[in-house]
Amino acid sequence: MGGVPPGSFALLLHGAAVSLLLAAVAIAGGTVFAIALATLAFSRLAVVRAVYGLYVYVVRGTPLLVLALLVFYALPALDLRTGPYIAGTLVLVLYVGALFAEVFRGGVLAIPRPQWESARSLGLPPFAKFRKVIAPLVTRYTLPPYVNVCVMTVKASSVLSIISVWELTLAAREIIERTFAVFTILGMAAALYFVMCFGLDRLGRRLERHLLRRGFVGERA
Amino acid sequence: MIQIRGLRKWFGSLPVLRGVDLDIADGEVVALIGRSGCGKTTLLRCINFLEEYDGGDIRLDGEALWYRDDAARGRRRVSEAEARRMRQTMGIVFQQYNLFPHMTVLENVVLGPRFSQHVPAAEAEALGRRLLTRVGLDAKISAYPAQLSGGQQQRVAIARALAMRPKILLFDEVTSALDPELVGEVEDVIRALLSDRIMMVLVTHALGFAREIAHRIAYLAEGTIVELGTPAEILDRPKDPTLKEFLRRMR
Amino acid sequence: MTFARWIAIYGPTYVTGLGWTAMTALGAALGAIGWGCVLLLLRLSGPGPARAVDAYVQLFRNTPVLLPIYLLYFGLPLVGLPWPAVICGGLALVLQNGAYVAEILRGGLKAIDRVQFDAARSIGLSPWNTFRKVLLPQVLVYSIPSLGNQVVLLVKDTSLLSAITVTELTMQAKLLTEQTGAAYEAFVVVALLYLLLVSATEITFRAAHRAVRWH
Repeated sequence: MGGVPPGSFALLLHGAAVSLLLAAVAIAGGTVFAIALATLAFSRLAVVRAVYGLYVYVVRGTPLLVLALLVFYALPALDLRTGPYIAGTLVLVLYVGALFAEVFRGGVLAIPRPQWESARSLGLPPFAKFRKVIAPLVTRYTLPPYVNVCVMTVKASSVLSIISVWELTLAAREIIERTFAVFTILGMAAALYFVMCFGLDRLGRRLERHLLRRGFVGERA
Repeated sequence: MIQIRGLRKWFGSLPVLRGVDLDIADGEVVALIGRSGCGKTTLLRCINFLEEYDGGDIRLDGEALWYRDDAARGRRRVSEAEARRMRQTMGIVFQQYNLFPHMTVLENVVLGPRFSQHVPAAEAEALGRRLLTRVGLDAKISAYPAQLSGGQQQRVAIARALAMRPKILLFDEVTSALDPELVGEVEDVIRALLSDRIMMVLVTHALGFAREIAHRIAYLAEGTIVELGTPAEILDRPKDPTLKEFLRRMR
Repeated sequence: MTFARWIAIYGPTYVTGLGWTAMTALGAALGAIGWGCVLLLLRLSGPGPARAVDAYVQLFRNTPVLLPIYLLYFGLPLVGLPWPAVICGGLALVLQNGAYVAEILRGGLKAIDRVQFDAARSIGLSPWNTFRKVLLPQVLVYSIPSLGNQVVLLVKDTSLLSAITVTELTMQAKLLTEQTGAAYEAFVVVALLYLLLVSATEITFRAAHRAVRWH
């Protein structure tokens, strides 16, 4: 079966750091992109709403890998060394952006009607209405699904290994193709992913509890 | 016949049955009455072992049900398989019908005979059709419960209980969830069962129906049978003050 | 090259890929739903098995599906089971999606009225018959919409099998790109075919949900 080469765990740990960085960039970029995207869903123009619907439909109906390969192959101008990273991050942002946008849209739709009406009856200007009423309420309804998508992003980043983005999964694959220490190496990789994903999930729950205690978010719907 | 001796049950530290004694003769119909929380539904559920009980015993034709006592190991419940065999001698009809929503009327009735009693499919189906004709629902054989009225669902539930060919039928407030105009059709079906000379125990709030159908009425209060007698004795010449009060409020 | 001409030349390649993708997805979906039912039964059969199922579900929910794919593809030959790549990959999808199906079915269980257990006991049904005849059919029907979502994810995840040499749609597009250099044509057609498969999946599950007459 071949022994585990020395330094494997350090290599995997390095890969995990890259995965986490990819996910962090994708979550940050995806969130910003999603806020812009979600506003389209509430446009007065049917055409704009249709654009939103089409975008979400395409992203949800196409594998991440296909989009990643498309961008990877279709941007030949990219430098071979940095190319996969730029293509990969870009695709991940566009992809999880649609998922985050659906989370936000669901959160806005979950705001009870009376809340809208009381915000209107107070005559709040649009920005104040967003900051004081909509944003806190959306946060309250979307935190759990938002954390879910974050966890999904960490897992989805592994797909980029196929377009030669060196991260945890590619690190693991390179080692097992060389040494056949399949079970040990994949076990270590699984443990690292588990720590990241499970940790993120726990972090989300703690944040939710913390916000609940602070009174920032009320009872969950 | 059924013999119940010293039946006791606690919900945590709260006693719900404090020693119930009751004999039911073959072919006899007994109605259990009393205000809510007096333990009458719990008693019915204990008879069918849907609830475990803490003391006393229940015998059916001399056989001890649900628990075994032996010197070495003390009181312990019978095995799950044995409990299933014993339950097949009884049928119970619930207040909320409890039909299986994903099965047709006929499938609901046939399920017990087919899978608990291993009756061949054709025979079980013939039995099911016969029983559904008897409760007046032969036209609804392939309907689903959601497509039936409450009264019709309850008649299916009675047919389902009868399909086990039980020695005793237990009714748990079977008309209280029904709209008033549907009560009659269910009572008619129960009335028609009298000719089968099957043992029946009914928990009910319908005193008129109890008077008409029961040979004896048992009045329960605070977990015991306080008064037991013929309908005339219990309803017309009550002795216990709380029973008098109960009857006055029910009028 | 015009689009029509592209299709005329490479159509059969796509059809081959589509066949592999559809067959793999169908097999893995059936397997995952079956495995999810087994996990549900295990979870209901006692506190020990329930904890084991929980651990299994947590493990698969928190790791990417590529890991079990590589584990079976690279690992099975080492223990003397040189199975074809598509079997290894399909099995990995079953193991992963089965965990999610088990969670979905657990949610569906909550929709079932407790009193039905009384009814099942009162007619003397054994635990196995209660599960098989009363519980499972209802749970499955209540879960159809969520199961549909999960199968959509599964259909998309079959694309990952291209990483272990399965000649499904994504692999065909990769091969075509390397052969012709026409990445746009190769991948846009494949993306459309995935959209088609996903839409067909959604329509099927919606129709199945409507076809159930009893609720």
